[in-house]
Amino acid sequence: MKFAIPVLLAVLPLAAQDIKMPVSLDKLSAKASEVVDVSLDGALLQLASRFLSENDPDEAHVKRLVRGLKGVYVKSFEFEDRDQYKESDVEDLRTQLKAPGWSRIISAHSKRNGDNSDIYLKTDAGQISGLAIIVTEPKELTIISIIGDIHPEDIRDLGGHLGIPKIEINPNKFDKKDKDKKEDNQ
Amino acid sequence: MMDDFEKQIKEALAKQDPSPFFEARVLGAVKRQARERRASLRMWWASAVVAMLLVVTGSAWQQHQKAVREEAAGKEAKARLELALKITSVKLQRISRKVEGI
Repeated sequence: MKFAIPVLLAVLPLAAQDIKMPVSLDKLSAKASEVVDVSLDGALLQLASRFLSENDPDEAHVKRLVRGLKGVYVKSFEFEDRDQYKESDVEDLRTQLKAPGWSRIISAHSKRNGDNSDIYLKTDAGQISGLAIIVTEPKELTIISIIGDIHPEDIRDLGGHLGIPKIEINPNKFDKKDKDKKEDNQ
Repeated sequence: MMDDFEKQIKEALAKQDPSPFFEARVLGAVKRQARERRASLRMWWASAVVAMLLVVTGSAWQQHQKAVREEAAGKEAKARLELALKITSVKLQRISRKVEGI
């Protein structure tokens, strides 16, 4: 009981972030030529939202989108040379994304370019409550975690706003491996 | 002995005319005291007003500084949010292209 409160306090931030960014990623900063590290919890998102104008259609759209979010975490590393990180650096993250509630909806791998991209969605009681993206390229590693009420159409609608290029994404496109896996489970 | 004492008492209690300008001096003293009280009161009010102005100005300055800090933090958070959304969007676009290309 004496340790219950400290343990609870230690776990709460993790629960808010939902998935924990591996500590090994911080070591990559020293090797990377460019690093982007964005960490916005619910309070910071609400603060940012206050500075998004209702009068600007683009900003108003993003403001509505942000309203349902509890956290946005992005870590991106660009390297001068190939193979500056190991797959094991993100293995811990992939393990976390195997937890109940998370499912991989898109997995794209290119042997030619050595690119691997995975999109995961988290659902709670049938509602989407999180999105995670892991992109590994020979000279780049990007991890994105968005926690909150975010839907594929919200992601699609990000394109074309605030200078972000318009994107099209079809959430029904599962990779064959995942599809087979789901069928095997049924 | 007793006579001397009675004489002294009589002399002490004997009616004496006030010195010249006694009334004027008393009235002057009363007026001076009233003036000093008014001046003291004015000083007190002035001090109170200055103190109040200092408190109000200080509070307003603190509020202003807080608003400036909040605005800076909010603009920074907004810029970081836009960067995060931009990265997310670009990555999704690339994945979408890959998936559609399969």
